[in-house]
Amino acid sequence: MNSLPTKILIANRSEIAVRIIRGCQALGIATVAVYSEADNNSKHKLLADESVHIGNSPPLESYLNFDKIIDAAKFTGADAIHPGYGFLSENALFAERCQKENIKFIGPSPEAIRLMGDKIESRKVAAEAGVPVTPGMAGCAADIDSFRAEAARVGYPVLIKASAGGGGKGMRAVENESELEAAIEAAQREAQNAFGDDRVYLEKMIVNPRHIEFQILADEHGNCMHLFERECSIQRRHQKIIEETPSVALDENLRQKMGDDAVKVAKAANYANAGTIEFLLDENGDYYFLEMNTRLQVEHPITEMVTGIDLVAEQIKIAAGEKLGKHLYDISQNGHAIECRIYAEDADNNFMPSIGKLLFYQEPVGDGVRVDSGVATGSKITIDYDPIMSKLIVHASDRQTAITNMIEALKSYKILGVKTCRHFITKILQHENFANGQTFTNFIETNMTNKPKSSNGIETYNELAVAAAAMLSSKSSSLLYSDTDDLPPSPWQMLGDWSIGSSISG
Amino acid sequence: MAEFEFIIGDKTYLAELKQEAGTTVIKVGDLKFSFKELSPGHFEATNNGKAYSIAAAKYQGKFLIDIDAMLFEVSESGQEDFGVDASAHAGEKDRIYAPMPGKIVKLLVKVGDRVSEKQPLMIVEAMKMENQVNSPAAGIVKAVNALVGDQVDTVSAVIELDLDD
Repeated sequence: MNSLPTKILIANRSEIAVRIIRGCQALGIATVAVYSEADNNSKHKLLADESVHIGNSPPLESYLNFDKIIDAAKFTGADAIHPGYGFLSENALFAERCQKENIKFIGPSPEAIRLMGDKIESRKVAAEAGVPVTPGMAGCAADIDSFRAEAARVGYPVLIKASAGGGGKGMRAVENESELEAAIEAAQREAQNAFGDDRVYLEKMIVNPRHIEFQILADEHGNCMHLFERECSIQRRHQKIIEETPSVALDENLRQKMGDDAVKVAKAANYANAGTIEFLLDENGDYYFLEMNTRLQVEHPITEMVTGIDLVAEQIKIAAGEKLGKHLYDISQNGHAIECRIYAEDADNNFMPSIGKLLFYQEPVGDGVRVDSGVATGSKITIDYDPIMSKLIVHASDRQTAITNMIEALKSYKILGVKTCRHFITKILQHENFANGQTFTNFIETNMTNKPKSSNGIETYNELAVAAAAMLSSKSSSLLYSDTDDLPPSPWQMLGDWSIGSSISG
Repeated sequence: MAEFEFIIGDKTYLAELKQEAGTTVIKVGDLKFSFKELSPGHFEATNNGKAYSIAAAKYQGKFLIDIDAMLFEVSESGQEDFGVDASAHAGEKDRIYAPMPGKIVKLLVKVGDRVSEKQPLMIVEAMKMENQVNSPAAGIVKAVNALVGDQVDTVSAVIELDLDD
């Protein structure tokens, strides 16, 4: 019998570190947080059983630094490392280093990461497994002429993608040849900064697709299964902001076909652990393998809510050599779940990051409401890291109820100190094309660029805001902050009251 | 009763606050709101039977108000506006600022270059995302006050232009 790790170091920060700490706690496993200078007062640091300061705020000096993380694991006696998403999660060299140091890496083998983390190689794997892929380069290139030639061959528009890419970083859409060179340079720079690898390639851009992905779980004994789809078509700057499951675009036939193909890809890669196979689904119902993410996905909670499976716990069990449990073979899609990513950004100014300190922060509560967050009142949002603050997840019996409940949850979510995309997301959810399931990756460009001033009661809102200012002025407890205040988050507001899959009956 | 004068945008509002039967009632124009404090900075206001959950904080002389996922900035009448952000530079077309604090990763123009409206001028990286800053108007580059790799804030102009008339 393989035994679970006794102590897991989480090589990540913010909401995903907090999520993994919860998963470890559920299995009775001790946790070690690592934190940079900027995260000295962070929620993930405070919630872990132990924490280790690993350096300055720039990621290369802390969250991307192999030596510091390995040293922290040895110092605390952690026998496993969970990398979360981003940072070192898809770094084969780091997975190898863990092996060498005799620390369990909670994720796939270095070979599988290398194979599938490389977007070019993974396309080959999929194609050889008989799964459709988008037309494009067979390998990375550095000279502009190769890109020009391939773009001409497959036809514009095209996408420049980082071979090591993910999360939209190092990716650029190119409409015509005049934009090509600048787009390649920008993609290379962004890829170098985000992944330490500036290799990029080109593929045809599928116009107006849906983004459909399948969650898979695979063990080290050759068993592999999928846990249904997630639709993540609502994106801005090529980054998802709203995800849901089930997708309105899949019927049972298509779901089974795509799910089977997802499993084929994972098996061909000799993959073990949790992973995600991403597809683009076009208007004709044809789909193309996009890439595989060899890690826990940002939007994993919606799968957890409809299936009742704790994916972090499954990752830990798989890494310990366990076989996929019997409970996994009984799952079904129970109800509907939606996730909205809450970024610190200005939706009225091209989604520019918004930095600052959270003067007031309160999460919504309610049946089927789950918040995975990495912040609390007093947290600082700095330029050092990705601006995601939290993920708001709603689970309900059907899609319409989930949408309605999500809008209510967004309205009762209170965040002061930085701008967020909450109102923008609310408007998407209220849009008739969202309600009708007309969700394509160009949804925002198509439906949200013309902003009609909402006529209903903006005056009332202004007056209400003035009344609230008067109310606050009248209070002796009036919250007066200065630039030098540095409030640590208060522990009582740290953990939301949710559990996986228990929010609706049946 | 207490009276307050506030400004949103360029509009001035008068608020009258009084206690009625144990609740705080605030009148703004023709609208009357009953307020209940749920916790410091967190209120529930009702108007015509509809309840709103509100968060409010005062920061750098301004009131920040969150209602129904929307943010409002309310200033006290007569107060100097000393908060500086990118939008504070709106209308100042001859001086180009970084949209947020970050690092200059590319300068696309040099002194003496002629630029057209919407021409990319520089790329600023923050939070691992690159943000391209385009020229707000046509003109000639008069000064470039930063180098590639410099950390820049939103207070000092990075690029200065001589605008075409």
